[in-house]
Amino acid sequence: MSMHLQHLIVSHSGQTLVNVSELQLEPGRPLTIVGESGSGKSLLAHAIMGTLPGSLTARGSLTADGTTYDLADPSNRRRLWGRVMSLLPQEPMLALDPTMRAQEQVAEGAATFGTDPGSARGRARGMLAALGLGGAARSFPHTLSGGMAQRVAFAAATIADAPMLIADEPSKGLDEAARADLAELLKRHLHGGGILLTITHDLDLARELGGDVLVMKEAEIIEQGPARRVLETPAHPYTRRLIAAEPAHWAHSWMRRPAGDETKPALITAEGLTKAFDGKTLFADLSLTVRAGERVAISGPSGCGKTTLGNVLLRLARPGSGQVHHAETLGGGRLQKLYQDPALSFPASVPLRDSFGDVIRRHQVPPSRLDELMDALRLAPALLTRQPGQVSGGELQRLAIIRTMLLEPALVFADEPTSRLDLITQEETIRCLMDQVGRQDCALLLVTHDKTLAGAVADRQLALTPEEAPRGTVTPREAVTAIA
Amino acid sequence: MTQTITPTPGGTPDTTLPSPALQNDAPPANRWYSGRSTGQLLAMSGLALLVLFALLGPLLWTEHAVQDLSRFLEPPSLADPLGRDHLGRSVVARLAHATRLSLLLAVLGVVTALAAGTLAGIVAAWRGGWVDASLNAMSEALIALPAILVVLLFSAMANGELWTLYAGLALAQWVEYFRMVRARSSLVLAGPAVEAAGLLKLGRAHILRRHLWPELRPLLATMATFGIGSSILALSTLGFVGIGIRPPTPELGLMITEAFPYYNEAPWMSLAPVLVLTTTLIGLLGLRNKESRA
Repeated sequence: MSMHLQHLIVSHSGQTLVNVSELQLEPGRPLTIVGESGSGKSLLAHAIMGTLPGSLTARGSLTADGTTYDLADPSNRRRLWGRVMSLLPQEPMLALDPTMRAQEQVAEGAATFGTDPGSARGRARGMLAALGLGGAARSFPHTLSGGMAQRVAFAAATIADAPMLIADEPSKGLDEAARADLAELLKRHLHGGGILLTITHDLDLARELGGDVLVMKEAEIIEQGPARRVLETPAHPYTRRLIAAEPAHWAHSWMRRPAGDETKPALITAEGLTKAFDGKTLFADLSLTVRAGERVAISGPSGCGKTTLGNVLLRLARPGSGQVHHAETLGGGRLQKLYQDPALSFPASVPLRDSFGDVIRRHQVPPSRLDELMDALRLAPALLTRQPGQVSGGELQRLAIIRTMLLEPALVFADEPTSRLDLITQEETIRCLMDQVGRQDCALLLVTHDKTLAGAVADRQLALTPEEAPRGTVTPREAVTAIA
Repeated sequence: MTQTITPTPGGTPDTTLPSPALQNDAPPANRWYSGRSTGQLLAMSGLALLVLFALLGPLLWTEHAVQDLSRFLEPPSLADPLGRDHLGRSVVARLAHATRLSLLLAVLGVVTALAAGTLAGIVAAWRGGWVDASLNAMSEALIALPAILVVLLFSAMANGELWTLYAGLALAQWVEYFRMVRARSSLVLAGPAVEAAGLLKLGRAHILRRHLWPELRPLLATMATFGIGSSILALSTLGFVGIGIRPPTPELGLMITEAFPYYNEAPWMSLAPVLVLTTTLIGLLGLRNKESRA
């Protein structure tokens, strides 16, 4: 079977959000839609599923299995859910029911669950075992890792044998290894003769999947073709910009710097750090010195203790053993932190203007400094009248950068500052951060699971070994590698 | 910057719909009645009338204890809108004084419980350790007793004196404020926003004002309206069974008990305090916002 989409227009009070004249989906040939947040790519998927929010209107038609469906009526495709098309949700950890065991919620999706729950459970057990989750069938979601939760969600989405699978930002929040596993899963669906539509801003995932790629920008498809051609020899300037925004392709003036100056004073000196969590050793006997003006990246797969190490170095968390010494220059708020989710780092129900006002008053920063920084980071002053939840992630992260910079810090700890942002926003955010870091000659400690980003930003990297590796391999001289 | 719409069932939406409030940055109409439902406005006016009665009534009808047995169960007249009771006392004067007393005691009790509970809760969440452990143990010991029993024990101690009722009410109620504030504050204090404020050296006053207070205020407001209602009920329950405020001080529950034997001759006598109680409770329940109704 194949699917054919024609003349799709999604609009919201007169504004067109998606405008796609034709789309052909073939079994065994993946189609991947890439683009930045807000390009309308997720809406396209939801228009096909019939899960658009009520305030949006869709027009167009979808032909599947010889039947044509009017896309204006979202309910006519409801009976196709699970059996003909299914959605692999983004952030599966949030999509899974926290009160149900993995096997139960997979079995629930089976067509026979209503009539013969026993066989549905058996089928779910078999599927989970085939995905390498045989031992986790009786587990609750909170005990699973991000990659395992993704596989449970995959089993739940495909148990009813829907030939068409729509994956909406499936690699969000996953590290490299988990993303490779995910690509493997999606390919498995294709080999079984399925149709795959993937929505992502992760170009690496698009490369791994192959097939066709479609680039969307401001509601329109601007380029499409085989993945290899589009991603290697892009024709449209926007596609070129999208690819250039990958950290591996960055070319910024702040990237190539002479190696760290050993004579500069040490800001953070850590010796013999050990930390274990729930009986699992995160790092053992680790020593590290961060000097003034240095840029150090801590990288490693998710769950390996990067953020914990960063917090220990900032003395926000206690090490199991070992010592962290801070230089006096770090006192009085000259040690700052950027968070993965900036919305959580501002007081939630206070307008941003007041949050900034508190910092300015407390530290007697000239108020003009805020305007200067807002201007330098290309942010509209009107943003300050909003509350943190009303500002987009990229803008809020830039506001968070401004907040740290108001205090002229000697060291900034950035904890996955861009892992939830799309490529173009990520580049913009990192550029703003590095501009300010360079201008104030402040040291940077970056935690990221993205090795290329770490390589682009840092003078040297500390790679934490994944949890499967034998313990005690992280020793300072081996682990800290100068890359400059 | 384009506003984007990314609905994601089962996931978190990337961004939100461009809401009208964001598109034009004009300040919203900020009148006290804006955004309130008809029900809330009705509740407010009912309560306002009641408060007015409690404040002005005792000034208009001062003589609540003067007996005149010749005016036994006199029906309502212009001078005495609710007539006279079995001892010839003015019912409206007694009702006004009783309403004032109930409202005053309830509000005082709730304010005391709220202040003490909130303070203890924030201190426990902030300091942790033995402070938290001992405050928590104390609250658990109190929560094991029914609230009405605590009030009763206190009122029995000093035989219905006003201050014991007040102390009993406050003591019985501070626990729920303490537990709620402690649980909510520990969450907020452990969050990244407070960690960031610490790194920015913004100080404790900032954390109280910007982080804790906005989070606690709506909850405290809802709990306080409930608290006032249940305090008034508790007072009148004690009065009704005759172990609350000592006669001849007028009290709503006591007035209902006293009027019961004469229900057939003078129904208004028992209905009036019931009406006051009903208006208070419905008014307080109706005040809440839709959000806090969950």
